[in-house]
Order: sequence, then structure tokens, then C-alpha cells
Amino acid sequence: MRIYLFGYASDDFLARVVVTPNERTVAQLAGQLVAWVLAPERGGLLTVRNERGDLLDLNSTIAAAGLGNGDIFTVERG
Amino acid sequence: MVLRRDDWLDLARKVNWTPRYVDEREMFPEELSGHPWLAHDAWRDWNEAYRTTYREYVANQREKDAAVLGVRSALDKPHLFDGLDPGWVQLVKFHNGAVALVEYAGAIAELRMARFGRDSAWRMMSSLGALDEIRHTQIPLLIGHDMLAYDGNFDWTHKAFHTNQWVILAARHLFDDMFLAADAIDSAIQLNFVFETGFTNLQFMAMAAMADRAHHHLFEKTLASIQTDEARHAQIGHPVMRTLLENGSRERAQYLVDKMWWRCWRLFLALTGTAMEYLTPLDARTRSFKEFMNEWVTEQFIKNLAEFDLEKPWFWDLFVEELDYAHHSFQLGLYTYRTTLWFDVAMPDDAEREWLNAKYPDWEATYGPLWDRLERSWETSGESNTVSYGLPALCNLCQLPALFVRPGRNTACTLEMDGRRYLFCSEPCRWIFSQDSARFADHKSVVDRIVVGEAPGKLTDLHAWMGLEAPVETGKDLRRGLNPWRLDPIPTA
Repeated sequence: MRIYLFGYASDDFLARVVVTPNERTVAQLAGQLVAWVLAPERGGLLTVRNERGDLLDLNSTIAAAGLGNGDIFTVERG
Repeated sequence: MVLRRDDWLDLARKVNWTPRYVDEREMFPEELSGHPWLAHDAWRDWNEAYRTTYREYVANQREKDAAVLGVRSALDKPHLFDGLDPGWVQLVKFHNGAVALVEYAGAIAELRMARFGRDSAWRMMSSLGALDEIRHTQIPLLIGHDMLAYDGNFDWTHKAFHTNQWVILAARHLFDDMFLAADAIDSAIQLNFVFETGFTNLQFMAMAAMADRAHHHLFEKTLASIQTDEARHAQIGHPVMRTLLENGSRERAQYLVDKMWWRCWRLFLALTGTAMEYLTPLDARTRSFKEFMNEWVTEQFIKNLAEFDLEKPWFWDLFVEELDYAHHSFQLGLYTYRTTLWFDVAMPDDAEREWLNAKYPDWEATYGPLWDRLERSWETSGESNTVSYGLPALCNLCQLPALFVRPGRNTACTLEMDGRRYLFCSEPCRWIFSQDSARFADHKSVVDRIVVGEAPGKLTDLHAWMGLEAPVETGKDLRRGLNPWRLDPIPTA
């Protein structure tokens, strides 16, 4: 199912809307967000957290990680 | 023998008729006069500090209009832009679009109080206030019209509030809440006590000082002239606040103050903060936005709170933290989404960056790398790589992008209610929404409208939906102008 989420990359300045199928993985979601930010070329490990600050499993699907329409997630790049 | 002013004014101000054919509650229904509903005895001592007769009002306004129009005539239309910094012209365009028709809406608020205010002195002050607000609409419209011959986007002075442009939607949401959808008491506290006493000094006094140094004497005269009116009718708030506190409504008064302080702060950082520090020429910047805020707004507001023994709003620490960052974060949003604006936006040059860092010691470390990346992107890939194509997350209360406080510290949060998840840029916006959720819940942000198909998702179509004719009307980089790529359809997300 296609859902919309609000993603914030910690080295960016803005929370952005990400529309994505929730069957994709959390890693793919993070990659999609990072592609929009000001320095998409910068590499490094990605860490993804939900609004409560819980660490999300990068290999889990978005749905299984508990993210649904209108949720916030944060991506940190190591 | 003609009576002297002071012999009749008090009597004339206090012509409170005793209704015989209707009940006082019918004449002043709570829905429009406000809560708490109090019998007129409670309002009998409503007094403004500085009293004005209608005769004095007309004479003063005539003089003030003559002063503004005199400068306009002296400048002569073909020379309206002579000597003005290009950034300053954009500031005026931004200001005119965001402010002119709000003043007209303000006339409606004043007229509501002129009918439903609970004491005749209040109603008299509000009648004059309504005339003020009409004047504050007409002068910018006249001057904006003069400027049309040189820059067609000055038609946004009149057009802006008739569009779905996102900054304007945010402003409309605020002013609907502040006074168009508010009763007389709430309007007096939110509009007169908080907005006009607290914030408009910044827009009209501080910016007038900058206009003088930017050699824009017509704008300076206009702003200063408007502020003298604001100072008079802003007095309405104090006696209304006093009556509320004397009649057991301290909690509601504090709530209205807290709510409107935060909402006004959001608008002013977006409108005034960015304009003062990214569109004003360096030699016209007398002080930083933060310094102006502290001197003209915060100090005055704290004095007002102390006068009534009210508390600082509960989010004060966050507000103080944001003073150093929030408008700088917002400027990045304006710049990277500039094609959705009706004015041009500046990337700060080296001298401006030095000034910003002198005023905000964290500026270079926080914002420098992001502006550096934008500079590099322009050099390596052209302008198209310096604009954002994805949708920003918009707050369901203030309607502004969720980009606060600063890079690395985002305060966005959500609220689940009746099967819908709402996004907020900050805890105060969520709190305001929660306090009166029925009032706000049905409103959709621009992003919500796109998601449900009520607004187009394709950027080129979204421009048209917002009233912007691309590429001629859409904002561009102030110093680098319109890149030819803009003549092609803008790539979609």
C-alpha cells in the first residue's frame, strides 16, 4: 500500500514528505529521503528512528516497522 | 457657547443606552460579544488611556495622509525605484503581499467590536480602529499600484490574499483564528493586546527605521504613519484584559495570550525575520532581527504581562532558543522553494555572512555548510540543482514547513485524532491545536490537499493552483536572475 510519511534527515534543515509503498524496507525509505536532501552524495551508515526515538530495523519493511500514514521518521547519517 | 472638548468628551464616550425592547444578552450575544458574558456593570469602567474625539481623529488622519501623499508626489512616479537596493524592492513586495489585505480584514474585526464590544467607549475606539485599518489597506494598494509599471509582481499587493499561495494560506489561517473567526473579547486580546501591542512595532517601527536607511522614504513614511494608528487602537486590549481578570477569567486570558504569542511569533519570524536579514541591504541594517525582537517585542510584552500579573507563556524557553535560529532555517526554506513565491529570495553573500555570524555566533557553523552546498550545486549543476522538488512537511496549525528549530534539531511531532494523524512543527503548535481541536481539525494543509487529490502534485500545475504564473511571476535568486532553464516546464517530483 502506498503511504505518505514525514522524514527528517538530521543533516538537512527540513522535514520532507515521502510517498512510498509500505512493502519497501526501512533502508530503502531512508535512501529515498536522503536523495532529496542538500547533500545526497554523502555516504555513510544510516540510522532510522521513529517519532518516539526507537531504532528501526533497516531490513524490516516499513509496515512491519510500525510506520503508517502521517508518521515521522528521522534518518541520521554516520 | 461651544463646550470645550474636556467638558463633553467623557459624556459622549459613555453613551451606553439602556435597552428596553430586548434583553442585554440578546443585544450582545455571547457568540459575538464573547466569553465570559458579563452584564454591563462589569464593563462600566472600560477606559482607554489616550482619548480621541472624532473631530480630532479626522484632523489628524488628514495630516498623516497628506504627509504620505506629499512624499509620493515629491518622488514622482518614474523615480519610485531610483536608488533602491534590489533586495529592498523584494522586501517591499513581500511585505505588501503579506500585509495589505490583512489590514482590510482587520477592519472587519474592528467593526465586530464596534458593534459587539460591551461598552460604548470600546465601540467608539473600534469604530476609529476600523477607519484606521481601511486606511492601512488603501495606502499600500495605492503605492503598490504605482509600482506596477516597473514590476508586475506588485499586483500581489492586492492579489495575494485571493490565492492559495502557501505563505498566504498560513497568514490567512492565523488571522482567521486571531480575529475573523473570533468574538469581540477574543479579538481584543489576540489582535489588540498581543498582536498590535506586542508585534506590530517590529513590522512598522523597526522596519520604518530600516526603510529610512535604505533611502525608501515613501515606505518609511507609510509604515510610521500606520504605526501611529496601531498604537492608538491597540489600547483596546488593555481594558478588556483588565475586565477579564477582574471577573475570574485569568486562565482563559493566559491561554489566549500564550496561543497568540506563539502564532504571531511564527508569522513574524517568517515574514519579518527573513526580510530584515536577507533582503535588507547591509548598510540599512541597524540591528539584527533578534535584537529588534528583544528590544521592541519581548521587553514590551513582558512589561504588559507584569502589569496584569500574567505568566510568561509555558514555551518561553523554546521561543528564546528559536530567536537565534528559526528565521535562518526559514530562509533556507524560502530559498529552496523560491519558485513558489511571488518575490525573489537572496542567498547571502560573503559580507552578509560575516554580518550574520557577528550577530548570531552559531550562524556560520549551523547554516554555512548548507549555503556552501547550494553555492557548489549552482556552480556544478546550475540553478535547477538549488531548488527543492519534493514536498516539505507542513504544520497542521501554523501551516509553515516543519523546519524548526535548526538543522540537527527538528521539533516536529504528531497527534492522532479521529483516525487522522496531524503533523506539527513544534509542541506549542500541537498544544494550540489540542486546546480547540474542533476549530482546526477539518482544515487541510497544502500537502494534505495534494495527498487527497484536491491540489495538483505536479509542481508546474501547483504553481497555477497557487496563482503563480510560471516562470514570469515565480520567485528567483535575487542576484542571479532568471535562468533560461526556467522557461522549460519545471521537473516534477
